[in-house]
Amino acid sequence: MIEPRGDAVRAASRSLLTLRDLAVAPLGAAKPVLRDIALDVGAGECLALVGASGTGKTTLLRTLGGQIAAVAGTIELDGEWLTALRGKALRRLRSRVGFVAQKHDLVEPLRVHQNVMAGALGRWSTLRALRYLCRPTSAELAEARSALEAVGLAHKLRAPTAALSGGEQQRVAIARALVQAPRLLLADEPVASLDPVTARAILELLTSLAKRRGMALICSLHQPELATRYFDRVLEVREGTLTGSAAVHAAQPLRLTA
Amino acid sequence: MDSLWPLLSAFFPPVLTPSYLRALLPPVVETLGLAAGSMFLAFLISLPLGIAAGLRLPGTRPLLAVLSAVRAIPDLTVAILCVILFGVGPGAGLLALAIYYGAVVAKMFADILRTAPRPPLEALAATGARRLQLALFGLLPLKRADLLTYGAYEFESALRASIVVGAVGGGGLGSELVGSLAALDFPRVTTQLIVLVTVVAVLDQLAVWLRRHPRWLLALAPLGLAALAAYAPRLLAFDHALHVFGEMFPPRLTERDWAALLPRLWETAWMALAGTGGAVLAAALFGALTARNLAPPWLAWPLRRLMEVLRSIPEVVWGLILIAVAGVGPTAGAAALGLHSAGCLARLFAESLENAPRAPQLAIAGTGASAVVVTAWATVPLALGPVAVHSLFRLEWNLRMATVMGLIGAGGIGQALYDAQQLFFYRQMMAYILITWVLVALVDNASEALRRRYKLNQIPA
Ligand SMILES: Nc1ncnc2c1ncn2[C@@H]1O[C@H](COP(=O)(O)OP(=O)(O)OP(=O)(O)O)[C@@H](O)[C@H]1O
Ligand SMILES: [Mg+2]
Repeated sequence: MIEPRGDAVRAASRSLLTLRDLAVAPLGAAKPVLRDIALDVGAGECLALVGASGTGKTTLLRTLGGQIAAVAGTIELDGEWLTALRGKALRRLRSRVGFVAQKHDLVEPLRVHQNVMAGALGRWSTLRALRYLCRPTSAELAEARSALEAVGLAHKLRAPTAALSGGEQQRVAIARALVQAPRLLLADEPVASLDPVTARAILELLTSLAKRRGMALICSLHQPELATRYFDRVLEVREGTLTGSAAVHAAQPLRLTA
Repeated sequence: MDSLWPLLSAFFPPVLTPSYLRALLPPVVETLGLAAGSMFLAFLISLPLGIAAGLRLPGTRPLLAVLSAVRAIPDLTVAILCVILFGVGPGAGLLALAIYYGAVVAKMFADILRTAPRPPLEALAATGARRLQLALFGLLPLKRADLLTYGAYEFESALRASIVVGAVGGGGLGSELVGSLAALDFPRVTTQLIVLVTVVAVLDQLAVWLRRHPRWLLALAPLGLAALAAYAPRLLAFDHALHVFGEMFPPRLTERDWAALLPRLWETAWMALAGTGGAVLAAALFGALTARNLAPPWLAWPLRRLMEVLRSIPEVVWGLILIAVAGVGPTAGAAALGLHSAGCLARLFAESLENAPRAPQLAIAGTGASAVVVTAWATVPLALGPVAVHSLFRLEWNLRMATVMGLIGAGGIGQALYDAQQLFFYRQMMAYILITWVLVALVDNASEALRRRYKLNQIPA
């Protein structure tokens, strides 16, 4: 088993992402799904979230991605408070957080290369974004192609997105995140609909990219053996809160019998 | 364009004196009565026919074919025939609506009842139940919800039609409108339009309510009966009607009519294409400006009201107004189709934009894209599919409507029909009726085939 490395108390200045006393209640949920969440993640660190179905892994990731507002607590990214930002500043910060969703969140009527280059929208001007929809330049297409190459889908560059299989769509979403080159990449079960070989390749790719680019990576996973093999730290979401490295042990039989 | 303003200002201010409003009450009641009476008759005819088709009794197939065929005669054409045969007035309008909606509703009931699940019916038949018992205890309960929902929907559409039949002499508010337009009394026209829009808005609310409480459709039975008693043609001069009908046969077109036929058909098609095309463009703009997820409320709210006005005035009424102020011709027809369609499509487009899946839009926003970019990259592409379907439906509908716009002077094949009727050239008129009929049936079949092929199913708005 890999020694959990994140146990040492981190200086707040050194961590990329800091959560304090975070509580989340998605619209429509009667009571908070998550509460008292505290977490520090450093640049280049890879973190796996495990936990039984319905415990709140997706909810936590979506909160970090800015899709759900927290009801209490703070989220600090790169020294800025996500919860306090508005407008342009918020968009700039969001462009530094990549998200690969559990259910497909691609724009199906668009082509594959368009979905991939959506990752660049945060740094493009509005005009350039509109122009790309009509006539992409060859340099831009080359960027899309190289991102797709990384996930083994270069041959689908111009394919209609709706024509891709579930696993292929998930890889397109990963390619989009690669183009976005975020400081923090959130991935909700990125390998759930992939075969074991591709699953390993994708996790290998994500974690090595995180190391190389100094990007923090948070993945939710259902396979404890993959979690312990590829990630620096494994945390378990249980009863609405995060339990620390003990989860590595709990993750082995993973309370499926409960 | 310079002449537009004086034309428009002629419509203002509307006549809003209490005495005139009171004078409008009888035509409004007559319109409502036409709808209630004709739908009562229509349901009375269509329930047994629908049940027969649902039980797959012998003779069902030809029956369905006849119903489809009758349905393909535009309602206004049926109305003009009834006016010729039974004289001007609400009686003719009531009869026309009853015939047309009888076929529409019977076909609909038949389609619904034929899709009833077989096993429960077969189990019931195995107990030795007779056919009537099968229908009462099997078929109807199984499909009750569908029957009531679609029944309420057709009732709503009959209400709109009851305004329109007045345009060719079928009584009610429509006839009143034609009278005021003929007298160039535009301020009164505005009043009538206000009343019309109000009545349609109230009925819309009623229809929404009825769809949720379909039982109350039954309460319409006594109303319908009363309307029947009030508006049924007093003297159904059947001998006279038969005689006139006989004069329409054999249908015949002169050499010159044949030569003019293709240009006339083209004029009809052009009217539908231009009207739909313009409406799609306008609706793309106004749909986006009224979508709750794209436009701010202070802009969306007034524009929504404007679109409501556009669509609550039927095509034929728009046609009557435009022809009165801008003259006879297919441009007026296209504009009339366009105005009504723009109102309908704007709402449907706005709904398509609002109903675009959330997750991909959030994902694009999550990359740090601005609101405009999210709209262009996600919301609009995601809505394009439904938008295309709605536009195609509208085109089909407008092709059908374009054939009757001529009856009020907007050119095309309907104009030829109308001219023949005015000159009492009944054999020519019947020829045009038959041609229109075949055309509409062709469009109906083509679009049904298209829909089946692409699995598009929905009620046109
Ligand atoms: N919008 C919502 N309205 C109501 N309840 C919600 C909403 N979103 C999430 N929940 C609830 O929050 C809990 C956590 O959901 P979440 O999707 O985060 O689970 P998860 O850990 O990702 O599960 P899985 O492993 O099955 O993906 C669930 O009980 C769910 O029912
Ligand atoms: Mg989940």
